[in-house]
Amino acid sequence: MVKSSIEINKLSKNYGDSQVIKDITFKLPQEGIYGILGKNGAGKTTLLAMLMGLVTPTSGDINIFGKSLKYKKYEILKDINFQSPYVELPKKMTVLQNLYFYARLYDVKNYELVINNISSELRINELLNKNYGSLSSGQKTRVNLCKSLLNNPKLLLLDEPTASLDISTSEFIRNYIINFQKKNKSTIVITSHDLVEIELMCSYLIILNKGNIFFEGDIKSLIKKNNYRSLKEFFLKND
Amino acid sequence: MINRIFALLIRYQNIAFGSFPRLISIFYWPTVQILFWGFFTNFFMSNENFGVWSTLNIILSAVVLWDVLFRGQLGLTMSFFEELWSRNLPNLFITPLKDFEIVLSLILASFFRTLIGMTPAVFFANYFFNFHLFELGIYLIFLFFNLIIVGWAVGFIVSGLVLRYGHAFEELAWAIIFIILPFSCVYYPLDTLPETLQVLAQMLPTVHIFESMRLLLIENIIHSKDVITILILNIFYTSISILFFLKMIKVARNRGLLFNQGE
Repeated sequence: MVKSSIEINKLSKNYGDSQVIKDITFKLPQEGIYGILGKNGAGKTTLLAMLMGLVTPTSGDINIFGKSLKYKKYEILKDINFQSPYVELPKKMTVLQNLYFYARLYDVKNYELVINNISSELRINELLNKNYGSLSSGQKTRVNLCKSLLNNPKLLLLDEPTASLDISTSEFIRNYIINFQKKNKSTIVITSHDLVEIELMCSYLIILNKGNIFFEGDIKSLIKKNNYRSLKEFFLKND
Repeated sequence: MINRIFALLIRYQNIAFGSFPRLISIFYWPTVQILFWGFFTNFFMSNENFGVWSTLNIILSAVVLWDVLFRGQLGLTMSFFEELWSRNLPNLFITPLKDFEIVLSLILASFFRTLIGMTPAVFFANYFFNFHLFELGIYLIFLFFNLIIVGWAVGFIVSGLVLRYGHAFEELAWAIIFIILPFSCVYYPLDTLPETLQVLAQMLPTVHIFESMRLLLIENIIHSKDVITILILNIFYTSISILFFLKMIKVARNRGLLFNQGE
């Protein structure tokens, strides 16, 4: 039996009268890159936030690596990390100070060596002594990604990982994430509006629509079964 | 031109009247100033024979100690606000950092900021004005700690309100302790206040702290009853404020506010 990385059971989230996640149930296997897609307001961010314990579900259960997020939250959070272009690091600290700060929060052993290795791999060495606030959006994205890898997460949640990056850097980051996943046998969940990126990186897809699961399954079979040429075509025809 | 000026006036009206804390801030400053200086003048008029230097020494001691409270509160709220301003809350709350660890870190940050901030002020007051705060002896440490604890209590309430209701409440960080200033009897004794206000004021630990300070400086005594009252009130208010702050974190998680805070 394939072990699940994420197991969601009848999960709902209400904000007042508005139900943004509606009684959804799904499982994601361990090891792999999975995509969560949906239009603005579909519930992607809320779902990600609930997976990280940032938002408390109204009802339902979240199990991550077989542990209940409700009861074993801090144990689970040691093995999770997250990156989003919409969430920043303290601006008045240098990149290195920020990375040291987060490495300590995650209790990373030999963190100087770890930071040195990841920052070399992500080519951000020359940014380490700069103030985070002075970086461009693209540089911030790479630094945020570096932060998200500090604890060698078993589950990595990426919100638009290549937003604000130029084509070559996007390509570099995509390949880096794919290699990271293979090397560490981790589970990566990506939300993105870049359908090409999702098609390139993910094997499995969950599409949310107004808080419901509209589609769940293999990307190739979704495209092949319906005779679409790409994921983009699927989205345009089902808009 | 008129249209453009009118547009700006509407914009300023929206800012001022668009949020309750900002609206309150328009009214409370003049009221607080009048109350404070009114009570202060009453005290001076009724104590004309009290030595000027003794009075100034008491006032200077009160200024320094009041600033301990202010620095304590600002040290806590500003440390927390830094996370809000830098849109860093989601990153922070997805680490294994527990809520009570945030509380302890804020308290320690505030303590060290206050200590660092107050050291030069006390030194200059001693050097230039021959002012001897240390005459308060061991009780100075007691008063210092209790004032900084009042600062933490206020700080946790303000931080909780900002987390829950947003940046409109940030103004409270600067203003809230000036609301309690006239009733805290910092620069004048409790009996300067009208009788009804005296009853209410006694619920504030600051009143007992500054009454004790004056008693120490004038008569070199301190009542154990005051010490106990200060401790009980501080334990009560600080516990309530920390529970309130923790509750606001929980509410923020329920309402998805941790993801949407920022400049």
